[in-house]
Amino acid sequence: MTLIWGGLSLGAIYAIVAIGYNIVFISSKTFNFAHAQLTMVGAFVAYTGLVTWDLPPVLVVVMAALAVAVIAAVEERIAIRPVGDMHNILVTTLGASILLDGIAQLTWGTQPLTVPFFGGDEAFTLLGGRAYPVELFLIALAVLLVIALGVYSRRSLTGLALLGMAEDREAALLRGVNVRRMAFMAFVAAGALAGFAGMFVGSKTFAVSTLGAALALKGFVVLAIGGFGSMPGTLVGGAMVGLAEAYASRYLGGEYANLAVFLILITILMVRPAGLFVRTKERVV
Amino acid sequence: MKTRLFKVVGGLAALALVAAGCAGEDSTGGGKDGEYRVLVLGGISAEGPLADNASTSVLSAKAGVELVNASGGIDGRKVKLEVLDDQADPTVAVTKLREAIAKGKPDLVLNSGPSTVADATLPILKQNSILSFNIGPTETSADPKAFPLNFDLSASAQNQLDAFPPYFEEKGYAKVGILHGSSSYGEVYGAAAEKTFDAAGTDVVANEEYDVASLDMTPQLEAIRAKNPDVLVLDAYGAPLGYVLKGIEKLNWNVPIIGNTSVAATSLISTEPPSGVLGTPATKNLVMQVYTSTAYDAADTDVVDLVARMKKIEPIKSTLILAYNNDALALVQAAAEEADSTDAKKLAEALLDPKVQESAVTAVLGTYRFSADSHAANPSPDEFAFISPGPLQDGQFH
Repeated sequence: MTLIWGGLSLGAIYAIVAIGYNIVFISSKTFNFAHAQLTMVGAFVAYTGLVTWDLPPVLVVVMAALAVAVIAAVEERIAIRPVGDMHNILVTTLGASILLDGIAQLTWGTQPLTVPFFGGDEAFTLLGGRAYPVELFLIALAVLLVIALGVYSRRSLTGLALLGMAEDREAALLRGVNVRRMAFMAFVAAGALAGFAGMFVGSKTFAVSTLGAALALKGFVVLAIGGFGSMPGTLVGGAMVGLAEAYASRYLGGEYANLAVFLILITILMVRPAGLFVRTKERVV
Repeated sequence: MKTRLFKVVGGLAALALVAAGCAGEDSTGGGKDGEYRVLVLGGISAEGPLADNASTSVLSAKAGVELVNASGGIDGRKVKLEVLDDQADPTVAVTKLREAIAKGKPDLVLNSGPSTVADATLPILKQNSILSFNIGPTETSADPKAFPLNFDLSASAQNQLDAFPPYFEEKGYAKVGILHGSSSYGEVYGAAAEKTFDAAGTDVVANEEYDVASLDMTPQLEAIRAKNPDVLVLDAYGAPLGYVLKGIEKLNWNVPIIGNTSVAATSLISTEPPSGVLGTPATKNLVMQVYTSTAYDAADTDVVDLVARMKKIEPIKSTLILAYNNDALALVQAAAEEADSTDAKKLAEALLDPKVQESAVTAVLGTYRFSADSHAANPSPDEFAFISPGPLQDGQFH
């Protein structure tokens, strides 16, 4: 059971990153390659707030969300807005991720820094397995985020507009949706989410400058397994990747962990090319 | 016309050869009575820990120069130090080294950077017959056939591992589990550890690898725990060390852990909470392998003196393990005394003499054991200590 808790919590982190990718993808059909780095910055801001400045956790959560939202806004203005071609955005957001890595290294150094968790740092036994409080919190957070975003997208006007944009950007524009502004706000919201989640991800993983690179690829794998644009898909994909990593490391050896994950990815994509939760659409020619 | 041109070119070439021959052995540096020029290469403006490491290396070279000059210099020549910031980048190092040699060949080069810099600069040093000492070993840097004038200062993974079996025996550990990273060093370390422990008669019950980009090492720890070892030997640096310690705590596994020198170089274990884990249950079963000089001992006067000399110049930013350059200068001074010369070849020969190695006033390692077959430092197992984590102060664990 310890393996399951560990695998699920790791999967939850990947899912949280994938949710961020999805928010941007739904609103503008683009990928923000720097999203995992935004989560990393969130972890560092949380470290500064909790350890260096000794602020209360509630204030630090708000601070991390706001700080990373501002960084995301700046990124949107300099790495997305001026770029016309969608394909070039992949390059500019990749550049932003490298920039964020460098800035984090220069600001906080390269050594791992502990981010305390408000729920305690002592492991306990649950259903026969050992887990840290933050691991269970991360699992709950990923599930709650997916539910909340699902409800929001179907019950609010903004959510419906976003879904409309995802379906047909031009049609949404014709129906009076300010597509550009909505895409910008979605980008900023994804940044705020990365900052918010970064505080808890950092508690599980340390605030460290290599965190973004470690999360970026697995976040994409989770997205590909679940299906681009699907929120429930991130949960299923996250759980599959996290558990595959944990079980392969335990029974085959650490060198097989990534191999197992990519084997699952390839198998799923061969059966369902658009991912588990997205149907392939036929194009009329 | 063509014949005449050949004659002119041939004549010039012959002149150049004669000139080179006349330059003879004292073509290095400024001659017998001139200054002994030492060039230190270091990644001073590199990123992160590389910069701190380079700072300590350069600082130790300055401290070494101070000591050598105070006791008469090298074969009577006063040492002059020049520092080259190579940014820990082989391309920059090659360019700056070539420029420096063009301005005037140094007598000695101390390469303080990673092995990539050594790989790039050693052929240039060989081409120019310059004596050199190197911190980042490469596959051939300690091979006298490849680089007869180069000497490696750091201990190899094998040197470090040779110190484990006596410690196992002392502690009564018969079954050992190994956990190492997926980096090239980690893989070499894991394989060499198993071979060394096996050869020493220790039962290696598990040898697990973790991906250095992984965020949780608990599964590998569970696999090792299932084999019930008496002790866990750990190779980890940076965040992976934190994940391993978290995993052990999570499993509530009360096993002694012996970390290698990479563990000792991670600031997480020498920093108290809330930033680090020093003094927490995560480190209660941990000991780490260090040079004896990296563990504070007031009775070790050579090391105390080195720390004082370094601190007088500027603060020490990383562990004393990076202070090898001080020893390099002491070794050259002792070799010059024996050879009665500062000629690079004669110094290299003298450095192989055990009497010279014993007499050199070194501090980071008590005695370097260069031989005709290997120019590696080859420190003996008693140059290492296994200590509990403690706060790092002036480059030493207290």
